[in-house]
Amino acid sequence: MNIVRERLKNGIIKENPTFVQVLGMCPTLAVTTSAKNGLGMGLATTAVLICSNMVISLVRKLIPSKIRIPSFIVIIATFVTIIEFLLEGYAPSLYDSLGLFIPLIVVNCIILGRAEAYASKHSVIASLFDGLGTGLGFTLSLTMIGIIRELLGTGKFFSRPLLPASFEPAIIMIMAPGAFFTLGILMALLNQYRLQKGKN
Amino acid sequence: MNETLKMGLILCLITVLSGFSLGMVYEVTKEPIAQQKIKTHQEAMKAVLPEVETFELIESDDFSAQYGIKEIQIGYKGTQIIGYVMQVITKGYGGEIEMMVGINQEGIIQGVKIVQHAETAGLGANAKEPSFLNQYVNKSAEQSLWVTKSTPTNDQEVEAITGATITTEAVTSGINNALTLFKEKLK
Repeated sequence: MNIVRERLKNGIIKENPTFVQVLGMCPTLAVTTSAKNGLGMGLATTAVLICSNMVISLVRKLIPSKIRIPSFIVIIATFVTIIEFLLEGYAPSLYDSLGLFIPLIVVNCIILGRAEAYASKHSVIASLFDGLGTGLGFTLSLTMIGIIRELLGTGKFFSRPLLPASFEPAIIMIMAPGAFFTLGILMALLNQYRLQKGKN
Repeated sequence: MNETLKMGLILCLITVLSGFSLGMVYEVTKEPIAQQKIKTHQEAMKAVLPEVETFELIESDDFSAQYGIKEIQIGYKGTQIIGYVMQVITKGYGGEIEMMVGINQEGIIQGVKIVQHAETAGLGANAKEPSFLNQYVNKSAEQSLWVTKSTPTNDQEVEAITGATITTEAVTSGINNALTLFKEKLK
């Protein structure tokens, strides 16, 4: 059980893909216009991460290191396409809002990064939880950014009006600059916290 | 064994396996995906032209494309024609906007629905809201519409969505296309 806790904590906090490793910035900046989109993108990525980590860990001894990158990309792309089909067939409303971004998961460097840095060197179970931890870390970060941007940009929380009508939404928050503002400020706050903690 | 050959074979095996699994998943999800598409299509058509019982696609019309219209369906109640549903494609801020426009026999807009779009969430995406689209309802094909940034003062004006004038213009021009087509070809 130790490895499970260690991997989850590692993915969510210690090596959080968004705020610590600063990986996968393209989906982070592009999809977080609302909390729902952030959450959906995070969960779709998590599903791909878990599947691809497990399969890559399974076949890690069969794949010569010279061709590991193309092999990983084929495996990842396969899972992304499978998830796309499943979403389109069984969760059309989620597919509608994420449709554009699903193919982006293929080139999401978090997935390739975990395959290369972890799954290709560790056992299947450890890789599964590494995928889960990293995926959840990514999901949490994206949802957090999404909530902040949606709240300030439209006054809504998960599509439900939350702030009083007198609140004038800052439209810039749901446009591209808002993504950079939110990400930068959150990252600065987290780093500040980490520095403080390190000192004491 | 030759190393290059071995690597080639392994890569080949991986791609064959993924191709095979993709094919399986495709077969399984093909039916639900097709059903889903038909369902959304039917629901959207019913939503923009209420009272209609059956729809019939106008086949082989060579004029739709020049108005930017993807397809036209005739709406029947029993054997009586109630109106038309046009699927309009127009160029928005983030890409193509696809929408359904329902027009009755007298050339009055019955409903508008956006089926697909890639507009900015929170700005242009608000065009999907009924509060915006209902502005077009009951407008007549007799006159074309235009966008205003203030409160509309006459029947031809449509109030723009805050911060999304381009989207509003796009939707309005798409609807104008549908109205022109109705006036010139269907009336």
